Amino acid sequence: MTWYDSFLQQLVDGLVLGSFYALVALGYTMVFGVIKLLNFAHGDLYMTGAFAGFGGLSLISGFVGTGWLGIFIAMLLAMLAVGCLGVVIERVAYHPMLGAPRLSILITALAVSLVLQNAALAMTGGQYTAFRTDLGFDGFNLGNLYLSYNQIVLVATAAILMIALELFVSKTLYGRAMRAVSIDKDMCRMMGINVSAVIAVTFFIGSGLAAAAGTMAGAYYGSIWYFMGFLIGLKAFTAAVIGGIGSITGAMLGGLILGLLESFGTHIPFIGSEWKDVFTFSILILVLVFKPTGLLGKSEVERM
Amino acid sequence: MAKSEPKPTPVSHVDEPELHKHDSHETDVHEPGPRNLFQRLYAAFESPGRRRALHVAILAILIVTPWISSQYTTVILTNALLYVVLCLGLNIVVGYAGLLDLGYAAFFAVGAYTVSILTQQFGVNFWAAIPFSLMAAALAGVIIGGPTLRLRSDYLAIVTLGFGEIVRFTARNLEITGGASGLSHIPEPSLFGWHIDSSIDFYYVFVVLAVLAYIASQRLFDSRLGRAWLYVRHDEDAAEAMGINRVATKLTAYVIGAIFGAIGGIFFSVNLGAISPESFSFQQSVLILLAVVLGGMGKIPGVILGAFIVVLGPELLRDFGTLRLLIFAVLLLLIMLFRPSGIWPEKRS
Amino acid sequence: MGKFLKLIASAAVINLAAGSLAMAQDGPITLGVQVPTTGSEATYGKDMFNAMSLAADEINANGGLLGGRQIELVTGDTACDPQQSVNAASRLASREVVGVVGGYCSGATQPTLKTYGDANIPFVIVAANSTQLIPANPGNAVMINSTGDDQAKTALDFFEGKGIEKLAIVNQGDAYSQDLANLTRDAWTGAGHTVSAFEYINKGEQDFSALVNKIRGSGAEAVFWTAYYADGGLLIRQLRQRGFQGTIAVGDGSNSPELFNIAGQAAEGVYAFSNPTADFLPAAKQFVSDYQSKFDNAPGPYAPLAYDGLQLMAWAIDKAGSTDADAIVKALNSADGQEWLAGPISFTSQHTLARSNFVVLEGQGGKWTRYEKK
Repeated sequence: MTWYDSFLQQLVDGLVLGSFYALVALGYTMVFGVIKLLNFAHGDLYMTGAFAGFGGLSLISGFVGTGWLGIFIAMLLAMLAVGCLGVVIERVAYHPMLGAPRLSILITALAVSLVLQNAALAMTGGQYTAFRTDLGFDGFNLGNLYLSYNQIVLVATAAILMIALELFVSKTLYGRAMRAVSIDKDMCRMMGINVSAVIAVTFFIGSGLAAAAGTMAGAYYGSIWYFMGFLIGLKAFTAAVIGGIGSITGAMLGGLILGLLESFGTHIPFIGSEWKDVFTFSILILVLVFKPTGLLGKSEVERM
Repeated sequence: MAKSEPKPTPVSHVDEPELHKHDSHETDVHEPGPRNLFQRLYAAFESPGRRRALHVAILAILIVTPWISSQYTTVILTNALLYVVLCLGLNIVVGYAGLLDLGYAAFFAVGAYTVSILTQQFGVNFWAAIPFSLMAAALAGVIIGGPTLRLRSDYLAIVTLGFGEIVRFTARNLEITGGASGLSHIPEPSLFGWHIDSSIDFYYVFVVLAVLAYIASQRLFDSRLGRAWLYVRHDEDAAEAMGINRVATKLTAYVIGAIFGAIGGIFFSVNLGAISPESFSFQQSVLILLAVVLGGMGKIPGVILGAFIVVLGPELLRDFGTLRLLIFAVLLLLIMLFRPSGIWPEKRS
Repeated sequence: MGKFLKLIASAAVINLAAGSLAMAQDGPITLGVQVPTTGSEATYGKDMFNAMSLAADEINANGGLLGGRQIELVTGDTACDPQQSVNAASRLASREVVGVVGGYCSGATQPTLKTYGDANIPFVIVAANSTQLIPANPGNAVMINSTGDDQAKTALDFFEGKGIEKLAIVNQGDAYSQDLANLTRDAWTGAGHTVSAFEYINKGEQDFSALVNKIRGSGAEAVFWTAYYADGGLLIRQLRQRGFQGTIAVGDGSNSPELFNIAGQAAEGVYAFSNPTADFLPAAKQFVSDYQSKFDNAPGPYAPLAYDGLQLMAWAIDKAGSTDADAIVKALNSADGQEWLAGPISFTSQHTLARSNFVVLEGQGGKWTRYEKK
């Protein structure tokens, strides 16, 4: 492989990885936008989504098979189920806490994360579940560049979901309300916006996107387990912060940047792959120290 | 209980005449009309006289416990006391100064690794190695705190998380830290001819550490610095206007918290005799933070209670097997929902 | 209120103290089983526990130990986590177990050596085999699985036999897999060959594309995965998916049949270095059918060693003629090559198995078959 081919291959692989990060990062950023909460349970919603997608696929595989069609339907089912779960979590766990100290609500989010993880652990006995599909390994070569059909479908799906979200937020009434709520909740209330409903919708969408990513990751990589949300949750969180938390475009950008950083980070000369995560986190810290609002975030004055 | 005390007034200790006498001296300590069971329970311990009695009682219980219980109990309690030290340290950062820290295990790791490397690989005496270990932790506190303290709290959380992970990965990747296997054969210390070796020995060491951490926390809370943290936590700008150096005040909290963490790490490593990067994971940081917030940020007895809950909780539920962590997590969620400021919250704020 | 608190306190003390009730002289003999029954390695742990309870049932049915005393097993769940395993170990020690059998994850087994050493409890380590365990052993433990050194040697012979020159080694950054990776690297470069890539992945990471590209770019002719099956399955899939044609071999942490579940088609033709599993042991026929009928599934890869571990402990107790720890440890170390399910057992001066028990397996038709060098 030449240097150039290798570069292109890293670029493609980084984009695939980045799409997952971006989809998960969107949930973090949207929730942060409306209720200023770092939803630590978000990575676990991704995990729950993967299991929901797996369950959905086993239900419908008799009718539509386990190709991309079946996976799409399973993905929609998972998005619906986990979206509702997200709303329930918000109602039960976060809503009563909105007046509490900020750290308390953060710990509540951690507790929700532990509940989801351990529920999945208890149900699976901690075992990996093989996510069997009919997706082959097929792909094609462009020169030395290898692209699989799965990768293309995956990136396209992620892109469609993100475009749909962008349209929703910028063009619809709820989307505009969402942006308004993220700027000033009290003012929205006075203007007759149903803030609770807006928050619920936000959780539904954010959780649904995580579920979409979870199902696709399960199908693409082929195995799921109860702890799969932790690492990606951490990285998506990083992506959201790099892009500027609260900014939807920022989350997409942050996800892609992080995916590329990791993809290329493995290849830094003289530094082994064992330092890859040190590299990722160092970049994160540098971004925050020198550009604390992230790439696309707006600066805001904060008081604890 | 509701029947015997129809009116929720502070003067209801008819069945405890001796304590009642204390009450009459210190009625100003009580807030008028404690409202629920928790508050009445806590109010019962707020008066200095009772507090002293409670201190003596707790110390007595701590001292006799290993002689009347199993080795398992001793080991678990040692672990709980370690968490008391760590939680009191993190409480200074989170509870006193109001800085969110998701990478506290990093300081714990720095303390543990520095002392282990010095004693095991360079043959330095354990007690001589401690100052170096503390200095390393303080330095780590400055390095982490310095550039980040101007950040807003959520970002501070993620930066500290990042630092915590960097420390763990570094420990895993370096030769001198023993890689993923970590270091074993860390020599046990001796003190004036007392070879600190058995689990009971270490238990008492941790009792002493926890008591010292408790006293230090209390002193800091009442000190000038403690008040400076309070002001900074409540209103940075006003604090600055009053002549408090904001950054220096926050940094001190970091450094002191780091030293507490390092002390925990130092004795953790000699107690276990072996350390590995897994002991200093993100989950470890979360567990410590959990204990602090669960117990009640800023409130020393609350934090201690939190430490005991996170250690003893999963152990007491051990017979539930796989379900025990789920039960623990649900209980935790319920506690947070019904006591959002922690089980034993601080009143001063 | 004061009374109420006192009541709680005394209840707690009684509860905690109950664990230390001494065992009667002629009551059952309690043995500890230290395995992960929760966490991602729980499959192995449960399988090992089943094998040991099968052994205990057989011994009890044949009249027990020391003139009729029955064996009673208590589990200590390590969850493959060092701190949890120390808690579990001290709980076993507090229940005054006569001996402990088990140990799967090396990282979680290592700190418990000190616990059992301090409490002077004989310990038969059945699966964990990192060389890091050897210096940590205070003398009361024996290891009946061959160590990482033996496995590295097996790997060296195997790859040399395949005519490989450039080898890529991938581990998971935990005690067991890093140890095996380091030993193999040293053996491989020591024999004058090249390690073209020496890589880490994090547990639970799913995307290895960058790593696979790097391995391919390094010109490696073979890949050796030294860690566990769950992530190994994903790595194998992605290696084959991206057209890696060379030899792939995995260490004994990946010898589970589950590997085929996760890697699917890609696991065909993958080699595994393994301790002897029940399918390939002529002496284990009865064991396999007993296990199958009792637990309704086939014994896993560490079942024979777990069974042997318990039998060995029982044998040592009988030989010692008492439940005295020093006598049992002495009896354990005197094992001189008797045949057990997984072959003869005798120990080196370092209390490790005196022979290498590694065999090479090959994935064929969705299961492991014995690989015979052609």
